[in-house]
Amino acid sequence: MRSRDGSTAFQAAAFLWLLRKETRELLAARSWWVLLVAMGPLVGVTFISAVRTYAEASGLNGTAAGVGEAFSPLVGIWAPTFSACEVAAVFLLPFVAIRVVAGDRQSGAAKIELQHPMPSLARIGAKAIVLFCAWIVASAPAAIAVVLWKRYGGSIYPPELATVAFGHVLNAGLTIALAAFTAAISEHPSTAAILTLSVTVGTWILNFVAAVQGGVWERLAGFTPPAMVAGFQHGLVRLDVVLVAVVLVFAGLVVAAVWVRTGVAVQRRVSESLTLAAAAAAALFACMLATASWDASENRMNSLPEPDEAALARIPGPLQIEAHLAPEDPRRADLERRSFAKLRRVMPKVQVTYVSATSIGLFEQTSPHYGEIWYGLGGRREMTRSTTTEGMLETIYSLAGMKAPNEADEPIFRGHPLAVPPRGAATIFYLIWPTLILAGAFLLRWGRS
Amino acid sequence: MLHIRNLTKRYGRFTALSDVSFSIRPGEVLGLIGPNGSGKTTLFECLGGVLPLDTGSLTREGRPLSARERASMLFYLPDAIVPWPAQPVRWTIDFTLGFFGGRAYLRDEVVERFELRPLLDVAMGNLSKGQRKRALLAIGVLMPQPLLLADEPFDGLDLRQTRDVAQALRSYAWAGRTIVLSIHQIRDAARVCDRFVLLSGGRGRGEGTLKELSAMAAARGGGASTDLEEVFLALT
Repeated sequence: MRSRDGSTAFQAAAFLWLLRKETRELLAARSWWVLLVAMGPLVGVTFISAVRTYAEASGLNGTAAGVGEAFSPLVGIWAPTFSACEVAAVFLLPFVAIRVVAGDRQSGAAKIELQHPMPSLARIGAKAIVLFCAWIVASAPAAIAVVLWKRYGGSIYPPELATVAFGHVLNAGLTIALAAFTAAISEHPSTAAILTLSVTVGTWILNFVAAVQGGVWERLAGFTPPAMVAGFQHGLVRLDVVLVAVVLVFAGLVVAAVWVRTGVAVQRRVSESLTLAAAAAAALFACMLATASWDASENRMNSLPEPDEAALARIPGPLQIEAHLAPEDPRRADLERRSFAKLRRVMPKVQVTYVSATSIGLFEQTSPHYGEIWYGLGGRREMTRSTTTEGMLETIYSLAGMKAPNEADEPIFRGHPLAVPPRGAATIFYLIWPTLILAGAFLLRWGRS
Repeated sequence: MLHIRNLTKRYGRFTALSDVSFSIRPGEVLGLIGPNGSGKTTLFECLGGVLPLDTGSLTREGRPLSARERASMLFYLPDAIVPWPAQPVRWTIDFTLGFFGGRAYLRDEVVERFELRPLLDVAMGNLSKGQRKRALLAIGVLMPQPLLLADEPFDGLDLRQTRDVAQALRSYAWAGRTIVLSIHQIRDAARVCDRFVLLSGGRGRGEGTLKELSAMAAARGGGASTDLEEVFLALT
């Protein structure tokens, strides 16, 4: 047998056969065809609704300056349209992934295939590759939405569109890795499905706890799939988020590879999994230290004005901010999203601490210090109650003894209003797409047998 | 060819196999005989690397086999599986040949011998139990490893098919293949095997040709029968 020589060509040929097998098994899975059929109407309903809303808003205020952000296709069209992919990744993709990963064990094929001396990571890798490609194919309705938008005369800014798509691809990768992991450790696919959905619900609970408690929970919640996708949907690429997602995907697949092996005692698998989990935790901690980020949005919605960024970058030393605002106080969310998040991108050494005795802040209003925001720089401290970006910048410049920079002459982003109805979209997403998929399913799956 | 020494396998407190030892000789058809629940499948799954051993060893020329050596030396064909249920028999055969680097030159001959030609375009999941068993046996025969372990190879086959499959397996053994069959129907075993390993209650009760086992039974006061059933009953 050639494998005795460890022949690379033999292993490569075996891997190609495995890819072919996984592809055929995917095409034979009902869950895959359900995902494909559902993606049309899912994307359709979000796209049509988004185009209608965008058109209504454009018709009413299409030329008004100062509301340009509302007419950015990133927020108005791509975020809602691609949110259909998020729904599919949470509720449909796991079943496809579990079917592909657990199917071999259910049918007994694993007992035959696992006798090949191929590393188990390569087996899981083949499944992951096929599932990843399957997700790209399943995302075709989103690509159709892009084409339709262009045909309507809509504006497309490729970097922000690519960022949204990349975020959803990463999210799908997380789902695939999670489903592979749960399918590998559980005896039955239904158990794997329950585990996968439990993790998803767990991330929602984490987001809820983060909103109430703040602190470390808030930091952790920033790496959950919904928070990750939300960042990309605003055109923001954060290196720490990307690295954490990549580590989680890789860790999920490696642990899955540990558990799909046969002939290995459970104790050994548990011990290997714990070692891997410890290594993954260390890697995740390291990844969370990365501070680089890129604002891919056309209207620079994640950035401070360029002159301010240049001025802030010149300020040496760490900046401490102490905000006396409760986690559920809307001013805190506003301040965090519109000001502090942008500030962190130019001043990585900024340290924000929230101080509050309650979660909603309603009963703290009488406290004399509630609502205060203290800024500390180079041993000097200054307090403001302003929660606007301008208030924040003014205080920082004052502490640094700097003059606020002059406004740049760069053109103001006024958006891309478009008042057109979503012509033909309903026919394509609700009729043509499902019909084509069902016909394809019949020809490929049932027509063959 | 291969020595199995003191193989023990436990599921929690239940001991499925206890100190089982026997040898496999090159080119023979060895029958693993035992009633339901005697540990035949567990033994095969341990040998095939599907289950981990608690204690015991597989050695070749006095040296323990590594997992990679075992994978290149033996192929285990499990019973009661419906692998790749959506895939047609033709593709299943081609896949296993390509994936394992099997004996492609035997493909057409094996398809004929196991009467698979009319079934080539039928999905594995749509085959009857006997048809599926023949398809899986064909896959087993086409695998490149010199040693084939087949769990209950005649289960689901009718009388004529059992005879034909037994002849086919014998012919591949004559051609140099070593085959170990786990069989609970003693008459079927007597028809095809050169030697036997008797298993009962998870313990090895005897190993040898019918003549050797008969002598062993006689030595234990069980009479000098040449009927495998009688010998089995006397030794277990």
